[in-house]
Amino acid sequence: MTMHDTTAPDTPVPQQLTDELRQTFAGMSDVLIPRSGPLPSAREVGVHEEAIDRLLALRPDLKERFLRGLAACHGQDPEQAARRLNETDPTALAAIGLFASAAYYIDPKVRELIGYPGQTARTYDPDETPGYMVNGQLQRVIDRGPIYRPTPR
Amino acid sequence: MKSKAGKSADALIIGAGVSGLIAAKELTKRGFSVVCLEQGDRVDSAEYWGDKPEFELMTQKRWHPNPNVRDLESDYPIDTTESDVPILMYSAVGGTSILYGAHWQRFMPSDFRVKTLDGVADDWPITYEDLAPYYDAMDVELGTSGLGGDPAFPDLPSPPTPPMPVGKMGRKAIEGMDKLGWHWWPAPNSIPTKPYGRLNPCALRGTCRNGCPEGAKASFDITHLPDALANGLRLISGARVREVLVNEEGLASGAVYVDRNGRERRQMADIVIVCCNGVGTPRLLLNSTSKRFPDGLANSSGLVGRNLMLHPYSTVIGHFDEDLESWIGPAGQPVQSMQFYETDPSRGFVRGAKWHVLPGGGPLGSPPDPGAPFDEQWGEAFHRKREAVFGKSFEWGIMAEDLPEHSNRVVLHDDLTDSDGIPAAKILYNYSENTRRLSEFHLARATEAMEASGASSVTVRPLMEDRSQHNTGASLMATGHLMGTCRMGTDPRNSVVDQYGRSHDVPNLFIYDGSVFVTSSGFNPTGTIAAIALRSVEQLIKQRRNQEVAA
Repeated sequence: MTMHDTTAPDTPVPQQLTDELRQTFAGMSDVLIPRSGPLPSAREVGVHEEAIDRLLALRPDLKERFLRGLAACHGQDPEQAARRLNETDPTALAAIGLFASAAYYIDPKVRELIGYPGQTARTYDPDETPGYMVNGQLQRVIDRGPIYRPTPR
Repeated sequence: MKSKAGKSADALIIGAGVSGLIAAKELTKRGFSVVCLEQGDRVDSAEYWGDKPEFELMTQKRWHPNPNVRDLESDYPIDTTESDVPILMYSAVGGTSILYGAHWQRFMPSDFRVKTLDGVADDWPITYEDLAPYYDAMDVELGTSGLGGDPAFPDLPSPPTPPMPVGKMGRKAIEGMDKLGWHWWPAPNSIPTKPYGRLNPCALRGTCRNGCPEGAKASFDITHLPDALANGLRLISGARVREVLVNEEGLASGAVYVDRNGRERRQMADIVIVCCNGVGTPRLLLNSTSKRFPDGLANSSGLVGRNLMLHPYSTVIGHFDEDLESWIGPAGQPVQSMQFYETDPSRGFVRGAKWHVLPGGGPLGSPPDPGAPFDEQWGEAFHRKREAVFGKSFEWGIMAEDLPEHSNRVVLHDDLTDSDGIPAAKILYNYSENTRRLSEFHLARATEAMEASGASSVTVRPLMEDRSQHNTGASLMATGHLMGTCRMGTDPRNSVVDQYGRSHDVPNLFIYDGSVFVTSSGFNPTGTIAAIALRSVEQLIKQRRNQEVAA
């Protein structure tokens, strides 16, 4: 049982991300994820370069709708095309947006700027006494007594 | 096609998940010859994406908990178009423990006596006290982490390893509960905080629900399978069981399965133990029809597949002004509350819910919503949304006790099949009025808790209502807790198995998974599934000389 698109226009769907479509993706990514304060835009971090090739290989299930969307927008003003695609083929725009977002948030520079190191391994001392055990918070729970109903006899 | 038969075993276990591997370990330890058939494959910790930058993207497809989204060969499709809740599970050696959140809970005493105490559903044929030694034993087997003495339970012993660090978000949650004078407690997890057996200590990656790359979470392919294999277990993965066989005396004699190459085979055994979860087990029994059992195996009560309980889920997400580093684990749970667990008739509903703190995750979150207006998702909104929630939000998850309803059930699909042509499951499930009232009340209280913690705003995510969202790859308001479809009891007219999982109709057929639950409680069920499986297999071993077997 796979998810099927509800919208599938007649535009022929390319099989590969050509140089032209890569540039279309770059332009649309900048519309979807523009520069903001210290944060670069999606094109500036190169979401359309090596990153998109890697992500497409990881998510082949989205390739058709991604390429379909780019083909429908190729050669047009990126912002107008993206807005129109959101109306005419929203699942295609969602695929383009997902790849742009995913590539953006795995970029080390972006991660540093938003303070996200990734799902990293951390060390801690499991024997360190937690604050709640010394500041009275846990004791107050204990002092309120049992809150369960015992097994009726 | 003529099927090939393997050498007969003392016991055939169908399903290598939590309960199947507990049974396999115990039976092989006592010298039983055991074959275990598992439709999924073995998973290596290195396959998980939690330690890689692309983690979030991969959780939306390959490691999504919904089999309809993953769409792997080893998964079977499940039709939920007539269900309020999607079904989550994982088919692999280790079963859904591969992807579970490892909230290692025990039920409270009242959970086993809801009829007596609250006048609803049915009492279990066992009590909390019957299961307590097995809860304790499983804690020791897994090296669970947590803190003893929780006043929500009678005489709760300390787990073998200390509780998880609660982190900044946990401290925020505790602050609110403390102000209100409400119950909270450091939460139990089947994830040790120190090296324990084959498990590494938790590294707080927060990726538990998509596979633990640290080898720190107690998935049963790590904790139980190696012992069973060392004791002689014969594990056959990629083996999809079509039906349980019965002989002329009406005893289970084995099973027919389709191997990885599409070839039909038979495995004969003296006894058969079904451990396929609350959807897979009734599906298999309903597919196992014969002249003697035309309505499916073990189904003289007509209850196989009925009383499906799924733990309707809702949450309140608190957004804070300060950085809480709320992508850090465990996920897993750092803090829980049973403040509103027990029945209070003045609330207008019976029973209650467990709450747990969950982290907010990484910046990518769910996939874009194709239905959303452009300016709500993209452009400046893209940055604004992340800035508002990422690292600054956590949730109180509310797991509502789901009472059994005769009409909520698993049936066989008329057309849909798995990749081997075996009829798939269809879910017929609607929220009850009690569930809706319960959820509404708890969402209001959890909102108060977030406000007491200092949240600048909250997002309330009520019960899932839009069935079109089940298979989108988004993170789901669902638990994957599959219970009640082959309930235990003393009366064969209104139960499928006895208190030890033995079928009333077929005395050498056993069920050890969450299907046997009489009620759901408001707790994550795996701890209780494990305790019941351990208790049941111990009884089976004790009674082995009296056990009737297929000739």
